[in-house]
Amino acid sequence: MIEWRATAIHDPVERLRYLRLVTSPTRRFRMGAEARRLWLVGLAALALAILSGNAGFGNSPKPTVRPLFLPPPVVVSRTWESNAGVWLVDQRGGAETYSNGLRIDNSFAVSNTPRDSYRVFEREHPDILHSHWKDSPAGIVFHTTESEQAPFEEGQNQNLQRISVGTLNHVRRNHSYHFFIDRFGRVFRVVKEADIAFHAGRSVWGDDNFVYVNLNSAFLGIALETLVNKDKPLEAATSAQIDSLRVLTQMLRARYQISDSNCVTHAQVSVNASNMLIGYHTDWADRFPFLEIGLKDNYLEAPASLTAFGFGYDPSYVESTGARLLPALMEAEDGLKASADRLHLPLGRYRLVLQKNYKEITAVASSIDAAKETTNEQK
Amino acid sequence: MSKSNVPALGLDIGTSRICLARHKGQDVDFQTQLNAFVTIPYSKMTESVLKKAGIPHTIAGQEMVVQGNESDRFADLLNVETRRTMTKGVLNATEPDSLNMLRKIVGSLLEPVDGRHKLVFTVPAAPLGAEDGLTYHEATLKQFLVESGHDVKSINEGLAVVYAEMESSNYTGIGISCGGGLCNVCFAYLSMPVLSFSIPKAGDYIDQSTSSMTGERANRIRLLKEESFHLNGHFADKNFQVLAVYYDEMIQSLVNGMKEAFSNAKNKPKIGRPVPLVLGGGTALPEGFRDRFEKILKASEFPVPVSEVRLAADPLYTSAKGALVAAMTDAE
Repeated sequence: MIEWRATAIHDPVERLRYLRLVTSPTRRFRMGAEARRLWLVGLAALALAILSGNAGFGNSPKPTVRPLFLPPPVVVSRTWESNAGVWLVDQRGGAETYSNGLRIDNSFAVSNTPRDSYRVFEREHPDILHSHWKDSPAGIVFHTTESEQAPFEEGQNQNLQRISVGTLNHVRRNHSYHFFIDRFGRVFRVVKEADIAFHAGRSVWGDDNFVYVNLNSAFLGIALETLVNKDKPLEAATSAQIDSLRVLTQMLRARYQISDSNCVTHAQVSVNASNMLIGYHTDWADRFPFLEIGLKDNYLEAPASLTAFGFGYDPSYVESTGARLLPALMEAEDGLKASADRLHLPLGRYRLVLQKNYKEITAVASSIDAAKETTNEQK
Repeated sequence: MSKSNVPALGLDIGTSRICLARHKGQDVDFQTQLNAFVTIPYSKMTESVLKKAGIPHTIAGQEMVVQGNESDRFADLLNVETRRTMTKGVLNATEPDSLNMLRKIVGSLLEPVDGRHKLVFTVPAAPLGAEDGLTYHEATLKQFLVESGHDVKSINEGLAVVYAEMESSNYTGIGISCGGGLCNVCFAYLSMPVLSFSIPKAGDYIDQSTSSMTGERANRIRLLKEESFHLNGHFADKNFQVLAVYYDEMIQSLVNGMKEAFSNAKNKPKIGRPVPLVLGGGTALPEGFRDRFEKILKASEFPVPVSEVRLAADPLYTSAKGALVAAMTDAE
């Protein structure tokens, strides 16, 4: 059907435009309603063809070449697999064992403020008038502890364990994260999942439907014990940490139905509200092992802080984060410019409108927090 | 291509040459610069000659740097090799001035363009069997092109060949760009790139291997190759004999790589009919290249049925034209 329609278009540029529209999944979020419908029809046809075996995708066991873009149904399948059930198998001796091999040590677990409902904002209209309430975690933010490190060698066992326990006690006292993974790959629960952890502070992220602001409530925080040293790129995470992070992420995504778009690093979400620039924190600005832990490469996602709230970035941010985040930042700038053009607004003016929305949202959030504190004090 | 007034530009940033494609009236106009430069001693006279002739150059202390097309002739005169901003399809990490010089060469092509355009530039695919290490290259080029004031996107070089040449098959087929640093291959289905990779043997490999066998400078070999080399018949000239041997080796490597990649590809759609294959790029220019490629491909038992092996209408400009087509489809 697609070919038949394409052949009917005589202008080669228009024909190519039509084909790119109906075959390219990466463009779907910029399409109008008609184009989106066409794309969905194409996607459904492709998916049906694959399910019935008619698309003839090969079964060769040893692929040595990575396609530039996988066809859409492969993405659908991967999402399904990563959300497949992971369940609690055993809970004894202060530890939990899960069906995917994950083991969580609860000996450092601590309570904090319970996660009440939190406000999310519609992606198309991220302002205070278009908000909704949610109550379960919508995503995960990955952190580094940026703490003291000993060489990762057998002779350093005692030292490594002493440092881990010290760091664990510190993050426990400060309710810093929900989970902590030490350098041997041991997973420790810190703040209970039902409570908030103070891991993300001023932060913004967005998925297809919603924009999330100040992610302590909306996102779970996982920290890898490491000190990211740009001169020693292979030491950002041990292989044991990557293995554990994979099964922990799998469990949390299965438990809370978290989309892989919402599994991101602290550097991607952190903002500075006082100067409206992103990147107040830059942990995992590069080298986060998205693919190794079974996620798509979220470094390529345009940050909602730029597209939804008009945040900017300065050259020092690009310099300190390296080239890894640059394509996403450029994509975000393109999106911002396109949106401004659609509204016939100069880019600077449009940015100010978005920034005003952000300030309104955070002002309302602050007043709600203050009211809650007053209520608690009165109790 | 029909729409002549679309503000769009296609830029092929190859290891060997940089080519800009844009509309001029109903036609597509191509401008190229050699992606190379050479340092020569400063003299007022030379500076004046370069200025008068409009040759891109910069003054650096007691030296002058000549960029682009004329760097070749200056290098030949001075019996030195040109310096290259790129190697094997990406920025040359061993050349400290690579980015600065590339910026100047691209700038000399973009300078006369008025207004804000949709600009699509070509990037290579990851070499076969290697990790994708192209992010830095792509991000860096994008950054400085954005600074030139255009709306910038990238396109895989092999896909650009498909966009330039495969309108009649609804942009389904195999596009190959045989350039200086790499041969880029892309198999597209209805315009969607399904399989893309590159082979790190291309024009530079032929020049350097021939140079090491004959003792001629690689730069001189390239000039000889571009001026009069062909792959048909017998050669009295030793340089040509050696060139023919390495051309054969390059084509053999390309076909072997394609066979391996297509045999092992997991997500290769079965289209149910043979697909066209188009050859573009400067290395595909010598007479007889298409015939030699087709012969070796036929002998290889290539796993995808091919309806025709065709040389692009204008091989040197194919990728730039494809990038222009992509820019036009992006333009409102």
